[in-house]
Amino acid sequence: MRGWYRKSSWALGVALLTSATFAGAQDVPRLTFAQLVDSIRAELELTQKIKSLSGKEVEIQGFIIPAGLPDLTFFLLSRVSSIGNYCCEAPVGQDETVYVFAARADQVTYDPLRVYTVRGVFEAGLQKDAVYGISLFRIRQARVEEAVGATIMKVGGPSAPASHP
Amino acid sequence: MTLFAVALKYLRGRLMASLLTACSVALGVALILSIFLLTHGIRDSFIRGTTDFNLLVGAKGSPTQLVLNVIFRTDVPPPNIPYTVFEQLQDDPRVEVAVPAMLGDAYQGFRYVATTAAYFQPFPWRRKAFSLATGSFPRADSPDQPAYEALLGAEVARRTGLTPGDRFYSGEEMAEYPLTVAGILRPTRGADDRTIFISLASFWEMNEISREMTVKPLTAVLVRPTRLSDVPSLHREFNVGSETQAVIPSSVLLSIFNLLGLVEAVLQVILTIVALVVLLFLFVALYSATLQRRREIATMRALGARRLSILLIILLESWTITLVGGILGLGGGYGLALVGARVIAEGGGVVLHPPVLTPLQPLLLAGAVGLGTLAGLIPAVLAYRTEVSDNLAPLS
Repeated sequence: MRGWYRKSSWALGVALLTSATFAGAQDVPRLTFAQLVDSIRAELELTQKIKSLSGKEVEIQGFIIPAGLPDLTFFLLSRVSSIGNYCCEAPVGQDETVYVFAARADQVTYDPLRVYTVRGVFEAGLQKDAVYGISLFRIRQARVEEAVGATIMKVGGPSAPASHP
Repeated sequence: MTLFAVALKYLRGRLMASLLTACSVALGVALILSIFLLTHGIRDSFIRGTTDFNLLVGAKGSPTQLVLNVIFRTDVPPPNIPYTVFEQLQDDPRVEVAVPAMLGDAYQGFRYVATTAAYFQPFPWRRKAFSLATGSFPRADSPDQPAYEALLGAEVARRTGLTPGDRFYSGEEMAEYPLTVAGILRPTRGADDRTIFISLASFWEMNEISREMTVKPLTAVLVRPTRLSDVPSLHREFNVGSETQAVIPSSVLLSIFNLLGLVEAVLQVILTIVALVVLLFLFVALYSATLQRRREIATMRALGARRLSILLIILLESWTITLVGGILGLGGGYGLALVGARVIAEGGGVVLHPPVLTPLQPLLLAGAVGLGTLAGLIPAVLAYRTEVSDNLAPLS
């Protein structure tokens, strides 16, 4: 009987830990570039909804544009790839790029045609920096990983191609 | 007599074999360390030596050639673009700074780079700082009155022995246009150390083709956008056209790193095999030594030595060999890396500065001793199990 209790409590513990881990993962809001564009009002003012995410951990998917050093400690995350296709309009402003400051260098193998998932602390609002210039959306302490089979082209819609041929 | 003293005495007893075994360990460690320092050094050197400009606009062709030539001064220059591309970029509101660059021939292997004073300016976003070791920056000149002044990188000055005021030219074609050294830059630990900077006006006048051209040529334009978020649109704009290409330097370097990663993976396999061969050699050496002295071990046991003491003596021998070999290997590996870095730098490639201490050195030493323990374990157990009665029988 004692053995059964011990086994049950172990199983319960593992189940609680697993569910807590998954719950934690699901709690991170997933942002899209469409949401970022929609959040901008006159003179680069932002909606309260997007401002409320400032300081919180978010997740966003996009293409890496290595505009900083080639160790990827800093890069731009964009809704379209910087090379390889000319079928989409290039992102033109602050609203369509996120400035990513990675938690550590060389987290992923860079491929301009792959979609990456970036998770980190979100910052919304205009900021001027001597090195990185003016930015509107930033993610700091970012962890980066390849997003296999990611859909980034349409918010809440059915599966869309991650990148164009 | 301590166990360590006994182990040392055994090692001295077969000095040549012990030294050869330690040498094989040293060679293995040196090989692993030097390859690690060189491959990481190449990567770090590219990162350290890359430009602070976010975009490079040049003629259509290979992005890698453009980056390697314009930023790292290797490879051959790509075709030229018209000066109007620079003017277009300079007038673009999305561009904070545009710097024209024209790459030419070389003097004693050091490339001429024609550019403007903006190349040396200390913008707040620059990591690189240019300062003079001696002399002055070349005077600002106009196309109709070139100054023919040169600014030397630190390595150029060191290797050529040129000092401010000296006049020089390369090849009899250029005898008509000797350059005067205006100043020498402090070391930047990058490709600029191996460069001779001159003004665009001087370059265009020295070159008989560009002299006749109404629209002057350029190799590339280095661009810093006002906002980094304009990098994608500028990049796209200059790539869609049929004459120019825009390159994000870090993108090209990351592609080179990806290839370097493949080479590193192959080297890792080779180094693993090397480590296994060294391990096997150490094992064979210790095993045969243990077999040869079973009688001595049996005598020691008969005189009261404990089995554990015998086991520890063999392990101590193994640790001593691997420790000595490991330390020698660390020194040798660093020396090899320095020689390799010199060869690479003299080949006109990247400049490497292998660090004296990295996290790898203690790990390698611990790994060598750990593998030594592994190699010594079977001979040690063999010695541990040596029976007095079986091995102290009369020889005849």
